Amino acid sequence: MMGLFGDFEEAHDAIADIRRNEVPGLTVDDVTMTSPIEHPEVEEVLGDRPVHIQKFTLFGAIFGVVFGFIFLAAAQASFLVQPQGGKPVIALPSNIVLVYEMLIFFAVWLTFFSFIFLSGLLKKRSSLYSEKVSLDQVAIIVEIDESIGESVKGLFEKHKVLEIREEAIR
Amino acid sequence: MTMVTEKDINEQIAWAKINTDVLKSMENPRPAYWVTLAVCIAMVACAVLAEYIQYTVGMGTADLNNPHMWDMYIAAFVFWIGMSHSGTLLSAILHLIHADWRKPIYRFAEAMTTFSLLTAGIFPMIHLGRVWNLYWVLPYVSDRGIWPNFRSPLVWDAFAITTYLTASMLFLFVGMIPDLAICRDNTTGWRKKLYGILALGWIGSDRQWRHFRKIYLLMACFLIPLAVSVHSIVSADFAMSIMPGWHITSFPPYFVAGALYSGCAAIITLFVLLRYFFRFEDYMTLPIMEKTAKLTFAIAMVWTYLNLIEFASVWYGHDVYNKELLIAKATGAYAWIFWTMLFCGSVLPFALAFRKLRRHMPTMFVVSLFLNLGMFFERWMIVAPTLSMSHEPHQWDIMYGSIVEWAIVFGSFGWFGMLFLVFVKVFPSVSMYEVKEMVFHRKRSAGEEDLARMTDHAKPVTQTTGGGGA
Amino acid sequence: MSLDNILNHWSDYRKGSEDGGHHDYEHRWAMAINLDLCIGCNACSTACYAENNLAVVGKERFEKGQAMHWMRIERYWDQQELEHPEQGASFLPMMCQQCGAATCEPVCPVAATYHTPDGLNAQVYNRCIGSRYCSNNCPFRVRYFNFYSYYDSSWPEPMEQQLNPDISVRDKGVMEKCTFCMQRIRSVKDKAFMEDRPVQDGEVVPACAQSCPTSAIVFGDTMDDGSMVSKLWKKHQVERGVYQKTKLAKKDADLRGYRIFEELNVDPSVMYLERVREDI
Repeated sequence: MMGLFGDFEEAHDAIADIRRNEVPGLTVDDVTMTSPIEHPEVEEVLGDRPVHIQKFTLFGAIFGVVFGFIFLAAAQASFLVQPQGGKPVIALPSNIVLVYEMLIFFAVWLTFFSFIFLSGLLKKRSSLYSEKVSLDQVAIIVEIDESIGESVKGLFEKHKVLEIREEAIR
Repeated sequence: MTMVTEKDINEQIAWAKINTDVLKSMENPRPAYWVTLAVCIAMVACAVLAEYIQYTVGMGTADLNNPHMWDMYIAAFVFWIGMSHSGTLLSAILHLIHADWRKPIYRFAEAMTTFSLLTAGIFPMIHLGRVWNLYWVLPYVSDRGIWPNFRSPLVWDAFAITTYLTASMLFLFVGMIPDLAICRDNTTGWRKKLYGILALGWIGSDRQWRHFRKIYLLMACFLIPLAVSVHSIVSADFAMSIMPGWHITSFPPYFVAGALYSGCAAIITLFVLLRYFFRFEDYMTLPIMEKTAKLTFAIAMVWTYLNLIEFASVWYGHDVYNKELLIAKATGAYAWIFWTMLFCGSVLPFALAFRKLRRHMPTMFVVSLFLNLGMFFERWMIVAPTLSMSHEPHQWDIMYGSIVEWAIVFGSFGWFGMLFLVFVKVFPSVSMYEVKEMVFHRKRSAGEEDLARMTDHAKPVTQTTGGGGA
Repeated sequence: MSLDNILNHWSDYRKGSEDGGHHDYEHRWAMAINLDLCIGCNACSTACYAENNLAVVGKERFEKGQAMHWMRIERYWDQQELEHPEQGASFLPMMCQQCGAATCEPVCPVAATYHTPDGLNAQVYNRCIGSRYCSNNCPFRVRYFNFYSYYDSSWPEPMEQQLNPDISVRDKGVMEKCTFCMQRIRSVKDKAFMEDRPVQDGEVVPACAQSCPTSAIVFGDTMDDGSMVSKLWKKHQVERGVYQKTKLAKKDADLRGYRIFEELNVDPSVMYLERVREDI
């Protein structure tokens, strides 16, 4: 079930009510809020939902450094004809510059891919999507049993919902 | 009474209006657009012809010689890489310090970054004697067991620019995803299909926003050191050599300052153009132009300082080569370029210090073009005089560029223009969701201010009402 | 595999030229050029053109500075106080100095120029992609770029018959420079190897040394203490790998030896003996 609200405040209060268990059988974990802009303050009422992207970034950075240096040193060590110009075969200043770039390269790619997968972007959109969300309305989507449908509707109406849509999932 | 300051953006703008205004900019273009696009394509055609001549006959058609082995191509390369830094400055640095006035203008700046890099990437190819072997610079496993020379700053360039181009494009793309969702919802036909694919199924759920905030912050954090390192590495092309006038330790910060400078000037140019042609007066407001101009002025002063400190260190040392080169730059064959550069780079920015001039769009347009001219001359001054007067007196020579070189440099501007023109018609050049955020937060803080003012005046102060959001 | 390689030779691979580098030299070819004997006749330059298949670019391109003379005679008039200043012309035969710590080597993006075990700076024509950074970084400006393809303009029929078959003819887009007549060195070394003996002093004669009418150019191996070149270098107190010009004050007028741009620490292999100037 999806309820469309005119502004963020009302949607926020509705979720706060759900958190306070005003509708039995519906917990905050079943709630998703969609909005046209980001609202970090909704975290307070939606509960703690951790984000894991930074772990991938760190892994990417470390991988970039280690792989980068080993790759460069191996290439330099196997290509001894390489010009010296008085410089050693494995020249640390050049390698540091290149490893720095590879750190950022791998960190950025891994962050990007982890974002795509962890935020559930590539899933098929359910029909409970309203174009109004991209405009200026905020939607709350709840996964519930039919039995508590009426009480959820009542809660939404208490907070001045503009439109309610339902979709049945087996 | 406190003075009422002009607002960066009108908080009462309806969000629907933001959507329609920006989407309107992407509608079918007027004839002026097609004419401009045709001009850009003609410029590119000039460059292609010149490059064809050069490719088949040899680099000698560019009038290069011993000692002028590098000339306009490298100057243009550094110029275009430099111009790309402003997008990063606006998107990443200003994001980290929560300067939200960047929100209406950072999208086209970030696009400018990507296209500048794509334009700059042409020049390493064009200036090579054997272009078809360009891929030897990349580290791939060859069956002869040979690798590029990792000690060479040109190889560092290859790594750095690849990384920067990738990171910039990803940042531009990721930042555009919510906007692409808006476009997907409001268009039909081929556009809807295109945006549908590119928006990757964005619905604006809290899970998506949470991850989005994280990636945006992380990429901004990476882009800043990356941008600084990229232009420092490009400066290493010069600084790592032993030539007088090139082997200078202050080159990395000098180049980065010059890059930010020319990028900000280009932002002002595009700001004026987009505001005029797409009627974005509500979003690209005069206060935002003022802030951009003030930023440009600050960077101009940094650049001026770094220039002066370079002269001072030449004067201070006893290096005969550097001293004579500096005197030759100021009084010799390249003197007109030198003084134009100093005028455009250090004197002209004072126009940005006057409020009346900052708010006058045509003046800003002309001033920004001259600032960029000064920066282009600066790149020319870096490349050419050193080569014309290096250690060996027998090989001193003067050169002003050739027709082939100028044609290709000229064409690169057309290439950039072409890419940018296509961008503004296919993708939203103002970030819709970020402008909505800006309006939302300013409305809320204006509301709180009003509330605070009201409760201040009311005596006695009892309690503030519980509304007004979390 | 390569990881083993790196770990075993780590300290060797980290040595720069000041510490001796990572390989040992077999020879260190060097030259000593007596500027007092040089009369500026350009025979050496012409011989170099003939020996190394250098392209004659024509008057127009020469004036533009696109000439290909690996060995060039530079003329300086530095005695303006003389009654006839033109008498003070000094001639400097300038060619690749085969620097021990060459500045051109580390900046080539594709490793087309490297240091041979002979102590020479070699240019690999096939690998060069023409970025021209090496030429920009050469303080002596002795690197020449093939700006055009000179097959038809320099050697029209039947002039290609005069080309030296020991050396390739370079196409456009490739950098080239003096190699101390590497082909002659190689053939002498091969002959010595076949005959199972070391290379004698005076066996390798580059084209320029061969054609000089005043014998101003002396070529040899500084690792061979008996060679003429080593003796000259020692006599004039010029030493390889010495990064500071530790020359005694010129009490002795015979100490005329110097290397050009020694303060740049590139360790050139060519020593010049200063011209004796007339004191009037």
